[in-house]
Amino acid sequence: MSKTVGIDLGTTFSLVAWVNPETGRPECIRGPYGTSLCPSVVSLDEDGRIVAGEPARRRLLTQPERTIYSVKRLMGRGVDDVQDELRRFPFRIDPESHNVIRVRLGERYFTPPEISAFILREVKGWAEEFFHEPVTRAVITVPAYFNDAQRQATKDAGRLAGLEVLRLVNEPTAAALAYGLDREQRGRVAVYDFGGGTFDVSILKLIAEGEGDIYQVLATSGDTHLGGDDIDNLLLDLARGEIRRDLGFDFAEYPESLQDLRKTLIAAKHELSHAAETTVRFLLPGELAYVRRLTRDGLDRLIAPVVDRTFGPVRQALSDARFKPSEMDEVVLVGGSTRIPLVRSRVEDLFGRAPHVELDPDEVVALGAAVQANILTTGVQGTLLLDVTPLSLGLETMGGVVAKLIPRNSTIPASAEELFTTGVDNQTGIDLHILQGERELARDCRSLARFRLPVEPAPAGMARVEVRFTIDASGILQVRARDLKTGQERTADVQPSYGLSGQEIERMLVESIDFAEQDFAERQLIEARNEAETILHATEKSLAGADDNSLDPAERASISGAVAALRQAMAGTDYRLVRERTDELNEATTPLAELLMDRAIRSALEGKKLAEI
Amino acid sequence: MSVSSLAFPACWNCGAPPGGGHFCVGCGKIQPLDPASGYFAFFGLPEKLNLDAADLDRRYLALSWKLHPDNFVRAEEFERNLSLDRSSVLNDAYRVLRDPVSRAEYLLARHGVRKEGQTKQQAPPELLEEVFELNESLEELRAARRSGDAAESVALARSLETAGRNFQAKLGEVDSELAGAFGEWDAALDRSAGEDDRARLMARMNEILNRRSYIRNLVAGVTQELGEAPGE
Repeated sequence: MSKTVGIDLGTTFSLVAWVNPETGRPECIRGPYGTSLCPSVVSLDEDGRIVAGEPARRRLLTQPERTIYSVKRLMGRGVDDVQDELRRFPFRIDPESHNVIRVRLGERYFTPPEISAFILREVKGWAEEFFHEPVTRAVITVPAYFNDAQRQATKDAGRLAGLEVLRLVNEPTAAALAYGLDREQRGRVAVYDFGGGTFDVSILKLIAEGEGDIYQVLATSGDTHLGGDDIDNLLLDLARGEIRRDLGFDFAEYPESLQDLRKTLIAAKHELSHAAETTVRFLLPGELAYVRRLTRDGLDRLIAPVVDRTFGPVRQALSDARFKPSEMDEVVLVGGSTRIPLVRSRVEDLFGRAPHVELDPDEVVALGAAVQANILTTGVQGTLLLDVTPLSLGLETMGGVVAKLIPRNSTIPASAEELFTTGVDNQTGIDLHILQGERELARDCRSLARFRLPVEPAPAGMARVEVRFTIDASGILQVRARDLKTGQERTADVQPSYGLSGQEIERMLVESIDFAEQDFAERQLIEARNEAETILHATEKSLAGADDNSLDPAERASISGAVAALRQAMAGTDYRLVRERTDELNEATTPLAELLMDRAIRSALEGKKLAEI
Repeated sequence: MSVSSLAFPACWNCGAPPGGGHFCVGCGKIQPLDPASGYFAFFGLPEKLNLDAADLDRRYLALSWKLHPDNFVRAEEFERNLSLDRSSVLNDAYRVLRDPVSRAEYLLARHGVRKEGQTKQQAPPELLEEVFELNESLEELRAARRSGDAAESVALARSLETAGRNFQAKLGEVDSELAGAFGEWDAALDRSAGEDDRARLMARMNEILNRRSYIRNLVAGVTQELGEAPGE
């Protein structure tokens, strides 16, 4: 059976992990750049090919027009939702896009799920490289506070990357799962997850039960648009303002330079997590230089409002779980932004205890995803996650008021059943509007979907349609309807308010399947060719070392034949053939290798004898 | 297809009578839900209102291990849907039965005594006078705040606090009244009381629940109003 991986599809970085069956522990898989962090950056090169990860991040400086980062902020959102982001992020959005945003990279347009799929495909490739076999199934993590549309968009991205998404797991829950492996802790756990673009907090109860450990999430809250990005933007605003004021320089014409400045400021931010002060030095186009001393105190003052914003959700989650901060037994920090000393001290102050930071905050979520992937593929083995839905699910009723069907923090899977009837004679359908959110009025909640239940024409009030709303274990809504009078199942054609339709996914899938297989074959080919090169080189060297008399002419001929066959295979694109020919050459050179080995041993013995004399 | 809606006389897998539980007694496969069986039956419990919370927790966790979709990731879609249905109902049932008030409301709704969203929001007659005064104080407080009369606001808030405490105490009284009714209901079940007896008890509980809901809303209103006080 092929391996199932856990993937943390992050705003800034994405990671892939698996559970090593030899150790039973989760491990992150490193990519070709030696790190497990794959930048969540995608770029379209001049030949129209997609580049993702580190090479794309490098292109951010040279080709900002063709490159995108932080696309997670756009997942499952409509054009109207992101106006705020547009002022902050250099997203080039197709003005024609409707319920799904389309982003321009160079001359082409992509939806956020497609762009995320390119990132997923990149880390999937890392895993395939590592396992030497295709990977087709994954558990992907999402911010706990992601709504239905954002979750669906993530699942779509997985499908587009050629992955069967077995489950979406909430990031803080995954982190708790990763920690649970390392420590025998029981009790109440608060997970504070401050990442690149999202903030989540979850309150969990760890229950040791007869059959194993249950991780029961009691409450979760968060802000899907609050993260390290916001801190970076504050620094960027500050520097931009000073540069304009003091140097009279404006970045409007220099998007490349602005990205470069952003990178410099992020490096300074990272440095201030260890040092008390640092100096930003930045060369502007036209021989101007911006030099600024930045202290940790200064940074703290600047970012305090952003850090403050995380504590609203923290108090909400605690109050929903009916706990005081002091009642938590453990506090876990997750996400790169928790490296900031101010964040750590504020969390410690609130809970009155030192938070756990033993696991790398960048890796912990991916590790937890791998644990869940392992649970799902090997069957429940002593660990069960009971997560919750972060937002209430409701229906719009008369006057635009929302009737709640499933309250927030309900354990998932969760469901609700409603009975509907008609208001006028011979009505042929009942319109439903599904929403997610805590507000009283529909217009203040998130629209998930609108759809029409078909009914047989009848006098008003005679129709009886039962609708079952189910939130699955990934937090995604399913709707089923049944006509009680006829007993007939009614398929409700649920059109998502912000998301791709089934047909759009199918179309993209067709496009991407070619892509995926091609990708895998291409990587395999490169690898097979490299291997072949190595053995060819070794063979040539050996042949040169063996004089004509010592090697049987028939063997020499067979080696030459195998070399020629391998060279021919390498000129083609079939990686299987290259591997086959490599193996054949290996076999053909066995007598040669033995010969050389004999000779080496003999000369070694002779040397010894000489020495003994 | 909806799997919850179809009544299966025989196990969908082995054809034998499945035995009415979550899993077929013959082949062990998960079974479709019978829409007529309620939350109590789901846990294998009688419809009693005094419920041992620790016992319910145990039953819930034991069933979670068995019914959760984690166990069915590799199963066919049909079985996966059965697990989704059963595990979602398990969570819904646990959420409803864990809380005594929602437990009682559920029981009454199940027997057609109480309808969701159609509960009467009328002031109980014996509270009419106090409710009237309370609403008046609330209105005065809002008016004083609008006009920026700080001293008056503080005085009114203080008297409102007293009234809020008064209603909070009444809520406690209603709760003990409800607990008494729970005991009577359970006793009625034990002695297999007739329909009339049960209907009378349910009507009484419904009346108590309506009163409780009304008072609770009052208390919530006062708490919210005081919580919004500026300068606190």
